[in-house]
Amino acid sequence: MHDLPWLLKSADDFNERCARLLNHASPGAEARLLANYALSINQSNRLYQTIQQSGPEKRAALSRNLIPFRLGIVGNATMDLMIPSMVVAALRNGIDLEVIAADFGQAAQEAFDPASKLNQSNLDAVLLALDYRAYSFPVNEPGYSGKNNTVLDAFKYLQQIRESFALNGKMICIVQTLACPPYDLSGNLDAQLDGLLRKSVNAFNSILTENIKKSADVLFDVAALANVVGTHQWFDERQWYMSRVPMANRYIPLYADYLAKLLAAIRGKSKKCLVLDLDNTLWGGVIGDDGLEGIQIGQGHPVGESFLAIQQWAKSLKALGVILAVCSKNDKAVALEAFQKHPGMLLKESDFAVFMANWEDKASNVRKIAEILNIGMDAMVFVDDNPAEREIIRIMIPEISVPELPKDPSQFLRVLCAARYFEKIDFTADDAQRNAQYADNARRQAMLQKAPGLTDYLISLEMKIHFAPFNETGRKRIVQLINKTNQFNLTTRRYTEADVLGFEKSDRYLTLQVHLQDKFGDNGMISVVICKNANDDYWEIDTWLMSCRVIKRRVEDAICDELVAIARSNGIEKLRGYYRPTEKNKLVKNHYQQLGFELISSNDLEDIWEIKTEHYQPKHPPIAIQT
Amino acid sequence: MHQDKAAILDQLKLIFQDTFVDSNLTFSIDTSRDDVAEWDSLSHIRLLTAIEASFDVQFDLEEIVNMTTVATIVDLLYEKLN
Repeated sequence: MHDLPWLLKSADDFNERCARLLNHASPGAEARLLANYALSINQSNRLYQTIQQSGPEKRAALSRNLIPFRLGIVGNATMDLMIPSMVVAALRNGIDLEVIAADFGQAAQEAFDPASKLNQSNLDAVLLALDYRAYSFPVNEPGYSGKNNTVLDAFKYLQQIRESFALNGKMICIVQTLACPPYDLSGNLDAQLDGLLRKSVNAFNSILTENIKKSADVLFDVAALANVVGTHQWFDERQWYMSRVPMANRYIPLYADYLAKLLAAIRGKSKKCLVLDLDNTLWGGVIGDDGLEGIQIGQGHPVGESFLAIQQWAKSLKALGVILAVCSKNDKAVALEAFQKHPGMLLKESDFAVFMANWEDKASNVRKIAEILNIGMDAMVFVDDNPAEREIIRIMIPEISVPELPKDPSQFLRVLCAARYFEKIDFTADDAQRNAQYADNARRQAMLQKAPGLTDYLISLEMKIHFAPFNETGRKRIVQLINKTNQFNLTTRRYTEADVLGFEKSDRYLTLQVHLQDKFGDNGMISVVICKNANDDYWEIDTWLMSCRVIKRRVEDAICDELVAIARSNGIEKLRGYYRPTEKNKLVKNHYQQLGFELISSNDLEDIWEIKTEHYQPKHPPIAIQT
Repeated sequence: MHQDKAAILDQLKLIFQDTFVDSNLTFSIDTSRDDVAEWDSLSHIRLLTAIEASFDVQFDLEEIVNMTTVATIVDLLYEKLN
């Protein structure tokens, strides 16, 4: 997997395209196209150097439409070789990455000193790139019976570093599990005997994986990655002895890509929707030609089992919160027959939020799917065995992810999983409900066609809204919404779990998590508001965002009524709202105007709106408040 | 795979150009580490990885340590490939 087989091999003219990048008409788009190839470490280095050489104007053009992320790195090994690959992998995953690396072997110093480079650099997160060599495990002392539990000691050392970075640098830590080097002393005893490295590493990884759930820090499971690669491949003695390179150079692009996907997940940019072809993707054969009896799917047949594995994968992803859609060139009735009648099928029609089977071109169909689901095409993955279809989609819709697939369907699953499109840092109740919510939404849309007027429609929805301040139960979903909401987002401020915890605990902040139900189902948490008490005279609305699923339902009216009521009861005279324009949030340019606020200042960066709480006219939309 | 030293040198030139982004790279059989500013210990690792991938060979630790001139690399590759 070192050559990232789900990505296209790079074009022959890669070097020339790099040379011309800064003079390109759209350098940002071109840079993303280049980053989307399976680049070697030298190619990543070339692209990285080109980007680094650009002046501030070109830099801004290159990072437009990317989400910024400032990452610190501490490690017990040479990390410099990885930085170009990390920046390029981040670009590939929609992130504008800035790396601030500490000097070699300075993890503790950087953490414990509040004035350290990393603690002073206003970072979003710090990567603790510590491998087994960073900890004081006994190096293969069989029957070690020292008075300390060395695994717990090692974990406590890590904890101190994590807590110090949180306290001194106000950032979350990305913490690595440990790959075990292939130097077993005895064999099967190594996992069992205290004092042998494998036992220590297994115990350490176990404690870390359990503990990290209770914190705002994020796990980077390097042990799992080294496992998939194989530790004989992962570790390269020559490179370690020569230059303290922690893993074989050839795996740096893979490590970098997985790190970038983790950062994207922290920023809510993982893929949300899987669009699947049918013929030779979900079953063997072409149903239009081979008929129901001719397609291969199900247990007991080698080819059928390969495709069954893909169906199982899709079904499991759905349970994880990924939306499934079909996009197939087939007669719809013919395609559906397989789902309705073939005994070997695992997936059902009801597993899909959208089922497009027709003879139109796939690009138009994919765009329609995005429209119906109201998600960006950069949140979608398109899986098709046919290289020609893949190519057209890549050209027509560059934002969508299209994995290359090997010829042998029995190998599809391992490549699709290696591509890690659906990385997540947590799993919430909303995720479990997501497909149901999208199906509910489709029914609401259908109702909209029948209702005579908008007000009647809204009343007929029987909406119930619930307000609460930020709390532990809602925290992870709050962080998710903050990081992935782009359209209905007034200021697009991105916060980590550590920041959200800070708002929750501070008495200078008024926070709201808003839940909405209606007669079709529970929409879950759909809006987040953060107000800062600026000076007891007015509150600043630092953050106001809402899920696109509930736009045009006057939910914002209900929220504004609640916000003003709370402000009044706290003796606050004014509310100030801010609009910071981005590529994606033009939708809310007039949000405060529509609520009755007055514009008090405006420039390219920000519009500031204000209202006196005593002058506010409550809107009373047809939404019942649930206490 | 049977390759003569001239062919090896040509293939090596491409790898050097790929590894050292400097397009003004002077490269010949006489080039040594001192002649290339960018050829430090870290780019040495990148160079090594690229040569091993391109020629499908693997070098010993001692060979890597002694790889300080183009001439040495060409000789090593010639041995391994023939």
